[in-house]
Amino acid sequence: MKITQVAGFLGCGKTTLMLRLSRELAGADRKIALVVNEIGEIPVDGKVIEESGMRVKDIGGGCICCEVASTFAKTVYGLYKDFNPDHVLVEPTGVAVPHQVKMAARMSGRDAKIIMGPAIVLFDATRPGELLDMDMLGQLVTTQVKDADVVAISKVDAVDESQLETTTDKIRELNASAEILRLSSFTGLGLKRIQEIILQWKG
Amino acid sequence: MDTPKRQDPGCYTEHGVSGYGIAVKLSHPTATEEAEIKSMAEEMMLNIAEKCMARGARCIGHIKSHVRTDAGTLKADTIGVNHGAFSSGSLDHAVADLYMAVNSIVQGIHQEEVRHATLEGIHQVAEARGWSVQTEKEHAYFDEFDFTASKEDYKRQLEEQLAAMDQPEKPEEV
Repeated sequence: MKITQVAGFLGCGKTTLMLRLSRELAGADRKIALVVNEIGEIPVDGKVIEESGMRVKDIGGGCICCEVASTFAKTVYGLYKDFNPDHVLVEPTGVAVPHQVKMAARMSGRDAKIIMGPAIVLFDATRPGELLDMDMLGQLVTTQVKDADVVAISKVDAVDESQLETTTDKIRELNASAEILRLSSFTGLGLKRIQEIILQWKG
Repeated sequence: MDTPKRQDPGCYTEHGVSGYGIAVKLSHPTATEEAEIKSMAEEMMLNIAEKCMARGARCIGHIKSHVRTDAGTLKADTIGVNHGAFSSGSLDHAVADLYMAVNSIVQGIHQEEVRHATLEGIHQVAEARGWSVQTEKEHAYFDEFDFTASKEDYKRQLEEQLAAMDQPEKPEEV
């Protein structure tokens, strides 16, 4: 059971990608489960995904990278025991720190056979300054980018080439080892590459 | 949904992020078409975002809503006034009642400020368009659906969940 997280700050398109990715991955007779975590006490995203017919576990009441990490580990173990999917796609809150989500997922590894998939971090191409240049928020988004195995610059259909190049350079400065790709859930750009990365990831 | 117990404050509080959620039932004297409901939901998201910024927020994480009706579901959201609002989904007929969950996540103001902005935004936009807020339940949402139910049963599930939100929580068993 491979656990892949689709992380990134609020509003960057995580839920849209989760929906498309889960459909693509499930297409080849793979068993897919999704775990969605939201702060704000209303799991809107989980409900939206659930209506698409996917198997979804909502975790509310806090953030899985810190407050409710043990609940996340139990949820992963429960999925392993009851459903044993090939892939679990995890959408943490938009303020979660990816390496802490990985640590929480590994807690379930004591009882479940898991492989850690990549931490795919989405970065919203339409608001790089808003996200990186603010004091407290900038620290959080910077940490998310630094923790990424893959950075997917999202909403690329909404900005021009020069903006994209500037954003790519900023991301590269923060994380030189991650693969950086361009993503548009609207046009489908980048979706196939993300799917390949997940399937080929060795952990 | 899993209902974990709260532990220490979350990582997001260190970054000045506050969240607030509410479930509401809105009613209109006449059945209303999908386009008008989408327009209202989008305006509501932008209005809440604007109010949060006016109260001192530095960044809108997201303002999201999920609208359930016996004719289908819609969602609308924004990540800030300058970014506009978007909606999706469809209704197969006009409706006079809708059930809406709103989730506001904002950086730079306290939860109480987010709460005020969200409530004021919902009431202001809904009432200006002739909708009345029949019921509102804070920190709540609609869950537990049989998606194959008939339209009548689907609406009954929504009403039952709203009513259940009135019940006091049972004490934890020791």
